[in-house]
Amino acid sequence: MPQIELAGKIYEVDEDGFLQELDKWNEEFAQAYAHTEDIEGPLTEEHWKIINYLRDYFAKFGIAPMVRKVCKDNGIDMKKLYELFPTGPAKGACKLAGLSKPTGCV
Amino acid sequence: MKDRITPADISRGSAGLCRIEPGDLAPLPPPYEDFNEAVLKPLAAEKIKGLETSPDDTLAIGIAEPANKQEEEELVRRFLAGLKKLFEKENNWTFLQPLLLSMEHCARCQTCSEACPVFEMSGRQEIYRPIFRSEVLRRIYKKYLKPGGRITAKWTGDIDLNWKAIARLAELSYRCSLCRRCASVCPIGVDNGLIAHEIRKLFSQEMGIAPKELHEKGTVLHLRAGSSTGMNPLAAKDSVEFIQEEMEEITGCKVEIPWDVQGADILLLHNAGEMLAWPENVGAFAILFQAAGLSWTLSSEAAGYDAVNYGLWYDDVQFARVAVKHADIARRLKVKKIVLGECGHAHKALTVVADRLLTGDLNIPRESALVTLEDIVMSGKLTFNPQKNDFPVTLHDPCNVVRSMGIVAPQRRILGKIAPRFREMTPHGVNNYCCGGGSGFAIMSGYNFAEWRNLVSSRKKFLQILQAFESEPAETPKYVCAPCSNCKGAIRDMIAYYHAEERSHLYYGGLVELMVNALEGMKKPIIHFGEEPSWK
Repeated sequence: MPQIELAGKIYEVDEDGFLQELDKWNEEFAQAYAHTEDIEGPLTEEHWKIINYLRDYFAKFGIAPMVRKVCKDNGIDMKKLYELFPTGPAKGACKLAGLSKPTGCV
Repeated sequence: MKDRITPADISRGSAGLCRIEPGDLAPLPPPYEDFNEAVLKPLAAEKIKGLETSPDDTLAIGIAEPANKQEEEELVRRFLAGLKKLFEKENNWTFLQPLLLSMEHCARCQTCSEACPVFEMSGRQEIYRPIFRSEVLRRIYKKYLKPGGRITAKWTGDIDLNWKAIARLAELSYRCSLCRRCASVCPIGVDNGLIAHEIRKLFSQEMGIAPKELHEKGTVLHLRAGSSTGMNPLAAKDSVEFIQEEMEEITGCKVEIPWDVQGADILLLHNAGEMLAWPENVGAFAILFQAAGLSWTLSSEAAGYDAVNYGLWYDDVQFARVAVKHADIARRLKVKKIVLGECGHAHKALTVVADRLLTGDLNIPRESALVTLEDIVMSGKLTFNPQKNDFPVTLHDPCNVVRSMGIVAPQRRILGKIAPRFREMTPHGVNNYCCGGGSGFAIMSGYNFAEWRNLVSSRKKFLQILQAFESEPAETPKYVCAPCSNCKGAIRDMIAYYHAEERSHLYYGGLVELMVNALEGMKKPIIHFGEEPSWK
């Protein structure tokens, strides 16, 4: 299992860098990981809003919500979402939120 | 010139058996020439540490190296024990007869090789030849399982059996998308696709070796959570509720999607991936069924809202578990029939292969949605205005629905009523080419497998799509109609990989979306090309 070192801690990730132990997630993880997803500088309040939304949804439903739902529930459009997470909602945002990679025919 | 690899090489050396060099791949027309010299990006050393060497610079499974000699010997022993089971009727209730016939009768005429898109597009790499992996299995079978096989092997084709050969064979069973175009052209009916399937099955059922997207994150997750997407029943209901709101917003049409209606005529089974990735498909089905006044329902029971059955691709036991679950849910809901949504492998799984499994009150009538939809169109209950679909359309034939099941005409009769600028691909119908995402390839993306798919296995389909639209100007939006979730995933990925939305204005979607887009009385279109509505 590949590992990644972020802010002095070792995390188990899959081959695409998605965190494998969801309970090991913390804010330092998200912040330290942000630059690999093309996000410059510290995460903003807008980033955290999306990250926390994704984590709450995942805890309740076991999946990441559909992208349009992310936009609608957070009052932003797709363009804004890609501005915040340039590598995309499924790859960038879910990765920083510590969610596992989407599975099934999606 | 490269040395020609032969089946006996499978157990020799420890390096890869093939490398795609610049210029090997079949050329693409303008404006895609920049992909003609493309090759796979090498796998990063840290990603493949401790794994068996890839036969061809990509990995579908990623098999761990055995820790020591004993472990290696044990794996070889288990492979042979599993191989024996493949040829016993108690242990292979599904495909023993076609497997035996395919093992005994290949004349090596190579008709299959010419029909295989992976072999052709890869620049004719020997290891992708449909008979290559079949011949490896055939030689092992004859040498180790047939009486006197060790002696006759000297002149019927010898092969040494070691762990290296076995690990390579496992990977090679995932370089065939089980599209069975080869089987359809074989003059004596040998099914090399089936052989690839049986190899996968041996590895999964006997050795616990399978791509994690199919097993751990596929059937296991499906049976545990209720869907291979990980969606639990609550999540399915939440997603569908959202789809209802979205449909009203997008099309102006209010739909009520029914759940768990006892005694409904139809239980509609969607691939749950549709709910997350292509919500319009789920919404469009609801609009049409509602408008046609059908009595129908979805099921919110675990596994009842996800039609997929990945077991079809690699494991009969997992297959049977999921298929029985689907049928049992329909039985308890007391529906008259199950209708399968736009998901190709679910069609083949539940209507064809499960036919040997579902007996008694589990043997509930099962029907393709393409047939149900044709009935709706031909009944005259709904009025369509084809002029709303005033853009070029082509149709992709999902292998499992079309070649495997022979459902060729209903979707075309529907298109005849709703798509005035429809044109066929060449070839099409039962002679179609796979999208490149068949047998689970569309959802396998570990290591660099998605890149291999886009470059090699999806290449033929990409060429066919470009060819279907070659008379249209680049700036005209074009619609590839693909009534299958897996195919849509593969087509979405190829469009992104080759920048085909930017360069050729290629878009894709299902059949029901095209129908709703032409439905009289809709206030707004359901199909958009980027931000642009398809009609105003």
